[in-house]
Amino acid sequence: MKRILFTLVSTVAGLVALLSFKTESHPLSSPGALPSAGLSETGATTGTTPSAKTTSPAARSSSAPKAKSSSTAPATSKTYLGASVTTRYGIVQVKVTVRGGKIVNVSFAQLTAFDGRSQQINASAAPQLLQETLTAQSAHIDTVSGATYTSDGYLQSLQSALDAAGVK
Amino acid sequence: MSTTLLSPPSHAARAPKPLRMSPQLALAVIAVGAIGVVGLWWQDTLFIYGWGSWLTNAGRVTGLLAGYAIAVLLALMARVPALERGVGSDRLARWHAMGGRYVVSLAVAHTLLIIWGYAVSAHAGLVPQTWSLLTTYPDVLMATVSLGVLVAVGVTSARAARRRLRYETWHFIHLYTYLAVALMFSHQFSTGADFTSMRNRVLWSAMYIGVGATLLWYRLIVPLLNLPRHLLRVQAVVPEGPNTVSVYLQGRNLSRLRAESGQFFRWRFLTRELWYAANPYSLSSAPQPNQLRITVKTAGEHSQALNHLTPGTRVLAEGPYGSFTAAARRRRRVLLIGAGVGITPLRSLFESIPAAPGDLTLLYRARSARDLVLHRELDAIGQARGARVHYLLSTHLPRGHDPLSRSALEQLVPDLAAHDVYLCGPDGLVEALRRELRAAGVPRRHIHHESFTF
Repeated sequence: MKRILFTLVSTVAGLVALLSFKTESHPLSSPGALPSAGLSETGATTGTTPSAKTTSPAARSSSAPKAKSSSTAPATSKTYLGASVTTRYGIVQVKVTVRGGKIVNVSFAQLTAFDGRSQQINASAAPQLLQETLTAQSAHIDTVSGATYTSDGYLQSLQSALDAAGVK
Repeated sequence: MSTTLLSPPSHAARAPKPLRMSPQLALAVIAVGAIGVVGLWWQDTLFIYGWGSWLTNAGRVTGLLAGYAIAVLLALMARVPALERGVGSDRLARWHAMGGRYVVSLAVAHTLLIIWGYAVSAHAGLVPQTWSLLTTYPDVLMATVSLGVLVAVGVTSARAARRRLRYETWHFIHLYTYLAVALMFSHQFSTGADFTSMRNRVLWSAMYIGVGATLLWYRLIVPLLNLPRHLLRVQAVVPEGPNTVSVYLQGRNLSRLRAESGQFFRWRFLTRELWYAANPYSLSSAPQPNQLRITVKTAGEHSQALNHLTPGTRVLAEGPYGSFTAAARRRRRVLLIGAGVGITPLRSLFESIPAAPGDLTLLYRARSARDLVLHRELDAIGQARGARVHYLLSTHLPRGHDPLSRSALEQLVPDLAAHDVYLCGPDGLVEALRRELRAAGVPRRHIHHESFTF
């Protein structure tokens, strides 16, 4: 009994010590600074700065459909939330803003990494994925090499958002 | 009559010394491996951020350690000669039992931590998260079945359950461990963040393949190779006393087995009724180049059947096993204490452990003179070697006198604390004796014992 208790306590203590060594209080990217990419009014991409300046007033309404927004209607933008996809390294969830059948903004609602390395990989892969999406205007984009899992999760989530938006 | 069957002790040219791995070294090797495994995680993890990530990483470390520890447990049971001789079969079995509980706990902790960690990171409930892990993650369902098998093996091995189960039933359930390992193997690579690199995959696979090959080699191939190599057969079955028989076994090139006095083999007598059971019995005389002998109390179903063995029956011997040999000895003077059928390995040690006249003493505890076995041989050896033999019979002792108490032992054996002591007998008696000996000033490392319960 004494031995069992000793083993239990020492295992937990060892685990806590080990994990504490690796614990960081400042992650690479805080949730507020998730990258996004959008098209300006003229159609040029606006780059990969934080997503705070979403152009759409309907951003909060997310995918709740008001009416079937036809592509010929005056350009009102709507934001659609993709499925949250969990990979072995973290969680990816994409948010897409569509106006007139066109993807005008794409960003992350969630980009969590289970560990630091994955967080680094995400930090470099995420902007590339967003840019490619804007360029391709669809989910038919190449995966980022070295970030296969994030890419796959991203594509799944993006596809589900585009399906909801009715963009082919 | 039994003594006439024994060839004279041979001092023939010795084969090179067999390898022995000390318990300390074995534990150190296991610890270094564990550090290496944690190192995999350390290398692949830059840093941890947040509670969910914390839980997930705790789950990763426990998972890696469980995967490593299960390989270690199998290796402990692979009957590696250097471990069997150095650590001893009974201690290996104890380590295996303790480690088994630890592995089951680690596997359960791994599962719960991963579910919890993923759920926290995904802001999902535990039940939906468990469902998504089972259905969308490759091979996790198989690994979950594996966990169930491991827990079942653990439960049936718990002391309380062991007592209620037949040995064969327990053993059969235990074999499912191999299935559990096979089922959980693939999820390590398909979901494990530490196994995306080819190097780690190769190292990890090599560990499992190495352990598997060792198991196969020492538990199956070597015993089968030894069958035609030594042509071991039953030579004679000789009754030794009430419910006790000696089985003489004849073979060739037996010195190549490098068996030592005090060791045991797992014997398979190749008859229709007995071939499937490999029972451990100690050598009851020093091994000869062409002859071995065991002495068995015919208590159980298996040992009862030994009475009816016919000469010429072929025998498959797995071994030799055990660290209860002269190699464990540290001091000039040696005391052997045996009780009941525990006298058998001591009988062979008494014959061959190197000792000058006057340095060797044997105490033989039994209920009555009727229960003594091999005592004529013991007397003869004692006389030839100048060694003392004391029979401690309950029927000849005053009521209430414990012949194995500290004071009684000190009286019987002058300078008790300066002896190496070899003990063999029922567990309770051995435990009590160890306490008395420690109280009498015999250091722990000079007390050697062999437990019959595996």
